[in-house]
Amino acid sequence: MASPQDVAAELAQKYDLTPKLIPNLDRHLVFPLLDFLDNHESFDSAEMVQAKFDLLKSSNMTDFVGQLYMSINNTDVVPEEFGKKKDAVLENLRSLEARSEKILGLLDDAEVVSNLRSDKLQNMKYLEENHQITHEMIDVLFEFGQQQFSCGNYAAASDLLYQFRILSTDSEKTAQATWGKLACDILRTEWESAMEEVTKVKDLIEQKLYNNPVAQLQHRSWLIHWALFPFFNYDAARETLIELFFSPAFINTIQTACPWILRYLAAAVITNRNRNRNAGQYQKQLKDLVRVVKQEHYEYQDPITEFVTALRIDYDFEEAQRKLSEAEEVLKSDFFLVATAATFVDSARHLISESYCQIHQRIDIKDLAKRLNLSQDEGEKWIVNLIRDTRVDAKIDYKEGTVVMNHPPQSVYQQVIERTKGGFFRTQVISAAVSKA
Amino acid sequence: MSRFFHGGLSDSESSSSDEEELYSEEEESEEEESSSEDGSDSAEEEEDDDSSDDDSDEEGGSRFLRGAESDDSDDEDGKRTVKSAKDKRMEEIEGMIKAIENAQKINDWVTISAEFDKLNRAVQKAGTTTPKIYVKAIAELEEFMNDTVKDKAAAKKMNAANARALNAIKQKVKRNNRTYETEIETFRKDKDAFMVEEDLTDVTVTKKSKGTPMQNVAPEAEDDDGFATVGRGGKTLSYTPESIFKHLRVIIESRGKKNTDRGEQIKIMEKLLEVAQSPYQKIKVLLALISTRFDLTTGSQNYMSVEQWKSAEKEFNILVDVLEASHEFVVVENAEEWDDEEKAPQPEKGETFKIPGSIVSIVDRLDDELTRSLQHIDPHTTEYIERLSDEGTLYTSILRSQLYLERLNKQSIPSDEALNRVIMRRLDHVYFKPEQVITTGEERAWKAIPAKLDSTISPRSKVSGPASELLHSLCTHLYQHDAASVLRTRAMLSHIYHYALHNQFYKARDMLLMSHLQEGIHGADVSTQILYNRTLVQVGLCAFRAGLIFEAQTAMQEICGTGRLKELLAQGVQIQRYQQVTPEQERLERQRQLPFHQHINLELLECAYLTCSMLLEIPALAASGSSPDVKKRVISKTFRRMLEYHERQIFTGPPENTRDHVMQAAKALAAGEWKKSSELIHAIKIWDLLPEPQKIKDMLSEKIQEEGLRTYLFTYAPYYDTLSLSRLTEMFDLSNRKVAALVSKMIAHEEIAAALDQVNNAIIFRKGVELSRLQSLALTLADKASGLTEMNERFLEQKTQGQGGFQEGGQQRGGARGGRGRGRGRGGRGGREGDREGGQRPQKSVQFQQQSGFHGGAMKT
Repeated sequence: MASPQDVAAELAQKYDLTPKLIPNLDRHLVFPLLDFLDNHESFDSAEMVQAKFDLLKSSNMTDFVGQLYMSINNTDVVPEEFGKKKDAVLENLRSLEARSEKILGLLDDAEVVSNLRSDKLQNMKYLEENHQITHEMIDVLFEFGQQQFSCGNYAAASDLLYQFRILSTDSEKTAQATWGKLACDILRTEWESAMEEVTKVKDLIEQKLYNNPVAQLQHRSWLIHWALFPFFNYDAARETLIELFFSPAFINTIQTACPWILRYLAAAVITNRNRNRNAGQYQKQLKDLVRVVKQEHYEYQDPITEFVTALRIDYDFEEAQRKLSEAEEVLKSDFFLVATAATFVDSARHLISESYCQIHQRIDIKDLAKRLNLSQDEGEKWIVNLIRDTRVDAKIDYKEGTVVMNHPPQSVYQQVIERTKGGFFRTQVISAAVSKA
Repeated sequence: MSRFFHGGLSDSESSSSDEEELYSEEEESEEEESSSEDGSDSAEEEEDDDSSDDDSDEEGGSRFLRGAESDDSDDEDGKRTVKSAKDKRMEEIEGMIKAIENAQKINDWVTISAEFDKLNRAVQKAGTTTPKIYVKAIAELEEFMNDTVKDKAAAKKMNAANARALNAIKQKVKRNNRTYETEIETFRKDKDAFMVEEDLTDVTVTKKSKGTPMQNVAPEAEDDDGFATVGRGGKTLSYTPESIFKHLRVIIESRGKKNTDRGEQIKIMEKLLEVAQSPYQKIKVLLALISTRFDLTTGSQNYMSVEQWKSAEKEFNILVDVLEASHEFVVVENAEEWDDEEKAPQPEKGETFKIPGSIVSIVDRLDDELTRSLQHIDPHTTEYIERLSDEGTLYTSILRSQLYLERLNKQSIPSDEALNRVIMRRLDHVYFKPEQVITTGEERAWKAIPAKLDSTISPRSKVSGPASELLHSLCTHLYQHDAASVLRTRAMLSHIYHYALHNQFYKARDMLLMSHLQEGIHGADVSTQILYNRTLVQVGLCAFRAGLIFEAQTAMQEICGTGRLKELLAQGVQIQRYQQVTPEQERLERQRQLPFHQHINLELLECAYLTCSMLLEIPALAASGSSPDVKKRVISKTFRRMLEYHERQIFTGPPENTRDHVMQAAKALAAGEWKKSSELIHAIKIWDLLPEPQKIKDMLSEKIQEEGLRTYLFTYAPYYDTLSLSRLTEMFDLSNRKVAALVSKMIAHEEIAAALDQVNNAIIFRKGVELSRLQSLALTLADKASGLTEMNERFLEQKTQGQGGFQEGGQQRGGARGGRGRGRGRGGRGGREGDREGGQRPQKSVQFQQQSGFHGGAMKT
């Protein structure tokens, strides 16, 4: 028999999404993922170092790569090529810096900045006439930013790309710069500006690639993957991103190109429970999620989606319980979700008991506690909390050790009233519109 | 060879009797004539013989042609008519020449042109050699014409019609005279001597013609053998490699005309093929020969005789062999006609010489003819099976032509369109077959092909690989290269069909939905629509095998629910009760029929459909109970109708056919007797036709148990206060967990008003939720009112489109519609990428909700 730890590790490995995520991420964005795996010790560390080395070999972070090289080969000598490369990179940086000095200087000048308007062409003309700035000089900014990014100076790169974007009229490069800036912001963990960039990239995809559905799909799936970083690291972004992911274009992308994202979406929706003030919205999101999970059932399954399936499609509470514990393990070994594992389990329990209460009229507290992996006292507390939170109509029968739910049937009169509620208002609006037209 | 000839003849005679009955009107007149000629001991033949007699007289050699005459019992008669006919023709020719000369005098080019045409025709009829006077006439005409053309002043004076005729005749004469260049040359050199010579030949000819009947005495009564002997003798005399083109020319020019004996021509060409030496000659002869073979069968009702088909097929292979051996010649459709008379083209090394013709059309035609013959042969005879075995050789031919066309592409001769057609043909032959059959077929085909040939689209190395890979590569080629979407659509449907046949339901369904075929299929041609229907049904069957009852039902609904199954799948003509079908329509429909081996078993289909409908309808019926909107939620009209009919019967005997079985099972299920229902379903024999019938039966039993439980709860809920779960478990022989899950599901979806009691492990039904009639009517009314408001909003939105939403609700809907539009546009193009696995499949689910029936969300949601 395998020990529980082994089982957990096995689960983690089986449902490890890293190989699927990597192709959709930038080199620099992959690094934290590898680092995480390394720390998690589910893989051989020598292998991980090698992987990191392979990953960053072609980047310009020469010092770091040199270190990695040393730790792989167990030497203290940095091979010559790294030194050379380093010199070349530095040289390159210096020259770029020199070339961009003028324009950067100008941008620091308050007077110049105050003369800039929102019209890019106008700005360009202004700069060309008054300060002899050419297109080539602006392109230097872009190159410089790229180099900085490659060297790991994300802050500098972000600034440069920002400035470039203000000035450049080349839409192709602007788009690239936007992607670059997004990467920089993510790596600097500047979530707020990262979210801004996400919106920009989304608009770009919609506008620029309008006629190219394949590229659109590709770009969208990239964006989805990149957005995972702010998704689980920045609470304020959660709501917007859930909405973004559920928008038709993106949910389609997830379904067609990267169904594994469903794990993150499911986790996000379920954990979103406490934050969400609006219970209706939560229910709606949950419903959407169930629908998508059901649709993609044949293409993607992991403990998290299986949990959703068991709970909301099959109503198999035992199965759901089992999947929940599996899901917990998986979450703990997932780079993005590790932080939310506890919340997830908590919310999931809520979900289970909610559905359970909805269906049952009388529940044995002992049994329910067992179902939720809690002791009897904890279970009782849990029930009390649940009754308070969700305002279920329920009472505890202490003597019998049961909870009795009261499900009042919705009265027919109430139903008729509900259905006809908005009719009058809507009709009024229509008549107003008709008279206007 | 003569056997073929013989067969051909007898066949044409027998088929001519068919023709008389069945010909379509436009062809009737022509065919009537020829068939009546055929029938009455071949007046046509006689005439033809006459002309061939003329030939031999003048040429002095064609004893072989004379041989044909021996078929006629009245040889003497034939001989007598020979003279008069020949004389008559000569007179005719002379008369025409006179007319031309007269017209020349008055410069009337219109008449000249007309007479010249007539003259040419007459001469051609007269045979392969030309009368001297004709040569004289055309030589003189050319001279006169050249004089006229040179005289610019006169030319200007001419009226328009005249000038046009002059121009036309200039072309004609030039072309025509090139044919007779040598004769004209000799004529010009020495006019008198030329004319005298003619007399001399005339004398020799008569001498020879006297000799020939003697020879014919022996074979006269005999059949093929004697025939062949003469043929051989004749061949050595008249068919030399040099004269091949001349013969061919005559044959080609007579193509499509009346009174040509094609059998005769085929014989000639077979001989020609034997003597042909250079690849060019062979190619030319083969092209003409194959097309003549095809010409033998006309009309749409009869099919090419097996012998003819086989020899055409063999010759086609020879043709491809020749083309493969000599790369400098290629047969392409848009090549220039080369003048054979001058001399055979000698392409330089590295150059390619294009010969007009079409390999694809030959393959197409071979394929069509095979299909047609399969349509006509009774599928339950051994003949059918024998005929079907020809499919293998045909498949090899298709593959070869594909290889040939691929080579052309490599030689940078664009033949994409043709290649697409061939690949489509290949697909048509494999898509409906199970994997093993495809693989063996492939292996056999490749074995028959020289080892050095290989294909880039479907490489030889992958022969024994999975068949779906072959399908995939073929289809992908069409997706990428076919500019017109017709073939692409068909390829896609074939691809889906293949997946569905091989139990890959999700793949098939996703492809079907993402290709958005269902949106445009109504505008497609009939055969594509039939393929679409077949595919749809196959997807349904696939879902059924996989146990996806709901999906199976929705997929089959559209086809099976119509009651016109046969017609929609092109598997037999259905008698239409209320509709008059014109003979024309019926003929077309017969033409569309699929050969038997491609059929989908209709009974199995119906059985699967009804079973699915039962599993869905019975619980739904029980759930709706007596509420007023029963009629609304009909899942399958057909099923309901049958059930009603079944219920009206006073006596119900033991079930006899599939339908009875399903109906009685449905009744049992409705009464909660799942065991009986399951037994009845199991008793249907047709399940044995499916792979792994036991698994299917087990699946069905399980479904029946589940649906039985649901039906039971729906039906008997009002009579219970509480109901123990263990009792249900016992009743329906399901596991405890399963029952709990099913009941929970029903409660959660508010299908029954109840809750579970965990302590007592029972269902507690709530009372007082049964609505009175008035209450339920009030609810319906409320629904209708809100529906009305919604409709109003939608209308207003349509009216005010472009001005933005007028209110929140409107805006939301507008947005949704915009999204939908975009999605669709994308998806439309998406079809092309539909096949790339995993990676690039554009949007799929937006559209699901929008369509009805199978295409709709029904499948996925």
